[in-house]
Amino acid sequence: MNGSREPEAGSRSRIKIFRWKAVGPLLVLLVIGVVLWWIFADTIARHQSEQVGTQILGAKVEIQRLHLDLRHGKVMLYGLTVASPHEALRNLMQADELVADVDVLPLTEKKLVINRIAANGLRFGTARETDGRVAAKSDGGDGIAGRVMAETREWANQFKVPALQLATGKISIDSLDPRRLSTLPAAEALGARADSSRKAWQTSFEGLQLGPTIDSANATLEKLKHARATDIAALNEGRQAITRLKRAGDRVTALERNVKTGVAGLQSGLAGLDSAKRRDYAFARSLLKLPSLDAPSVGSALFAPGAIRPFERVLYYAQLARRYMPPGLLPRAATGPQRVRRAGEDIRFPKEKALPAFLLRSAELSFLLHPNSEQPQRYAGHLTGLTSDPALYGRPTSLGATGPLLAAGAMLNHVREIPVDTAGATLGGIRLPAFDVPGVPLHLDPGSGTTQLGFNLNGDTIHARFVIRSSNVTWARDSGFANSQIGGLIWSAISGISNLDLEARISGALHNPDLAVRSNLDQAIATRLRAVLGAQVAAAEKQVHDRVDALVNQRIAAARTQVTQIETQAQAQIAQQRGKLDELQKQLEQRLREMTGGIRLP
Amino acid sequence: MFAIIKLIQSLFGALHSEGTPGQLAAGIVLGSFLGLTPLINIHNAVILAALILLNVSFAGGMLGWALFVPIGFLLDPLFDWIGHHLLLAESLRGFWTSAYNTPIVPLTNFNNTVVLGSLVFAILFAVPLFFATRLGVVRYRATIGERVRQSKFYKTVMASKAYNVYKMFRP
Repeated sequence: MNGSREPEAGSRSRIKIFRWKAVGPLLVLLVIGVVLWWIFADTIARHQSEQVGTQILGAKVEIQRLHLDLRHGKVMLYGLTVASPHEALRNLMQADELVADVDVLPLTEKKLVINRIAANGLRFGTARETDGRVAAKSDGGDGIAGRVMAETREWANQFKVPALQLATGKISIDSLDPRRLSTLPAAEALGARADSSRKAWQTSFEGLQLGPTIDSANATLEKLKHARATDIAALNEGRQAITRLKRAGDRVTALERNVKTGVAGLQSGLAGLDSAKRRDYAFARSLLKLPSLDAPSVGSALFAPGAIRPFERVLYYAQLARRYMPPGLLPRAATGPQRVRRAGEDIRFPKEKALPAFLLRSAELSFLLHPNSEQPQRYAGHLTGLTSDPALYGRPTSLGATGPLLAAGAMLNHVREIPVDTAGATLGGIRLPAFDVPGVPLHLDPGSGTTQLGFNLNGDTIHARFVIRSSNVTWARDSGFANSQIGGLIWSAISGISNLDLEARISGALHNPDLAVRSNLDQAIATRLRAVLGAQVAAAEKQVHDRVDALVNQRIAAARTQVTQIETQAQAQIAQQRGKLDELQKQLEQRLREMTGGIRLP
Repeated sequence: MFAIIKLIQSLFGALHSEGTPGQLAAGIVLGSFLGLTPLINIHNAVILAALILLNVSFAGGMLGWALFVPIGFLLDPLFDWIGHHLLLAESLRGFWTSAYNTPIVPLTNFNNTVVLGSLVFAILFAVPLFFATRLGVVRYRATIGERVRQSKFYKTVMASKAYNVYKMFRP
């Protein structure tokens, strides 16, 4: 080919640099390349568009047909399907036809500037047969969409709302072990204490030695009855007897005081038995398997896990927008194109007064809701200023859609350093998706209703509100739940509620916002559950009270009787002896007054 | 299997061609660009055109390509790292920004970390590769080249039909 057959050293200076013969084949190769491009350009562009769209959105983007008409600056897409990044078998949107007017010149700078897109036959939320999620299945690994998906999922998981613990079994009572009741040992201890007190009092009473004193006083009284008034010794003996009686009375008084204190202690012990019985009631009640109604908020417990989802999804799109449409003019990286080799990162270098890498100046959207119904609803929307470099475009991205039952708008203002993303939508007359109520095996179908969404992400501060209103709510329960007692009770409490007014709010710093969920069902469910369960709970509680009573009442009565008997016996003994002492003292004093004629002798 | 036979054929074909060691080394260097950098890029079209138009060993180019494809895969993390540092270097930002906003240049995908990193690496690697390859070919031809040419193995390999295809592009 080089024709050099001379010795190498001698021919080095004459070696030709170019193979002119290869120009022909090279041109042929070039022509083949052009022809292949002409044949396969649409297919390549379609594959590339699908690939880039899938990468950006984190969900499969499928295009049935794409036609490039660069001579007229037009790109036509037919049968566009964008899967939902969050739901496995649902599409985010479908479009029958999209026609884009493209600026051809920026393509030489690898920039895509679309002056206008007209989209027809848009449909939202349609079903699909295969799982179209990509980012959700990547476990946060690959690409910007995967990372954003993982971040938003983690963000949503921070809202740990305690679930309403409604057991699905019957109300039942565990076996009541008498050894775990506190009344029985308390009654036993009280009985022992009473017996001990009785013995102590008896000992003290015997220690008073009232018998000799009384006998001595009786003897003195007999002597005085026969003594004369001048018998000084008898008089003195009488006075001494009175003094001994008084001292004996004082000892009786001290014993009486002691008995009263002891009786008060025993009475306190009896009251302690009542307290112990109440504790046993509480313990026995704790053995009941009752549904808990102690969740901080019934509404939060029931609806927060579901209510957080719309926020999570809107935040996903907002964060994607922030990643792909960052403010400022600094170089920015994005995941490179998919290929067998490592994708690497594509770094973009925006330049002042230059065109952005991507710009969609205007898009007009028209779509039908309920296209198969007799009166399909026609909607129209617009999108302006969607760009990869908001600082270059200089205006925020805005989106709006209006229709008979729809008003929606969004603005992504990434022009300045702190991005502000705002969105709001009210959609009425649509069939809201049914969902399972967490914590209880109930299925809530809101039916047709109205939803409202307000979303504002200002820098790292979020304020968002999500509302669902419906007046024809229907409830369903699973078969296993239907057979349980609790299931029946909850079902009777909830099935009668036909209105739904649910509002969820999020506010605060994005990394740790506050979530508040309120609904008309909160109070209704709680009240009706308590009302319905009240009778059941009362019956169950009476049952456990009866069990406790059967075990402890006999012991309490025995202790009470014992205490009462001891108290009565001790008081009777004291009263009897005191009466004897008082009577003797009275008779002695009377006789001394008779003997002395009322004159007080020294 | 066919690829291995073809590779061996390319290797022997190039080593025993009438081309000079310099032509063979230049071909391998150009082929290394195809192997080290991601293939579907404009600079590789230029490399391919150069391989066809310049009077270098086309077989050497194919050999270089085949040899350096696996090396390219292995070194991709290194290329990514090089490209990342180059593209985000503060001192080069003005240059990259100008290049990025110049027509046609962005179509080279220079702003991809792996493309730029591998291209820079291939360029820097080209000079030592050229001289090392040329020296190796000279030594080979001077020492065991003739004995290999006379071996049965060589004759068997070169007798296959694939060799005829190669001969269409021999230098």
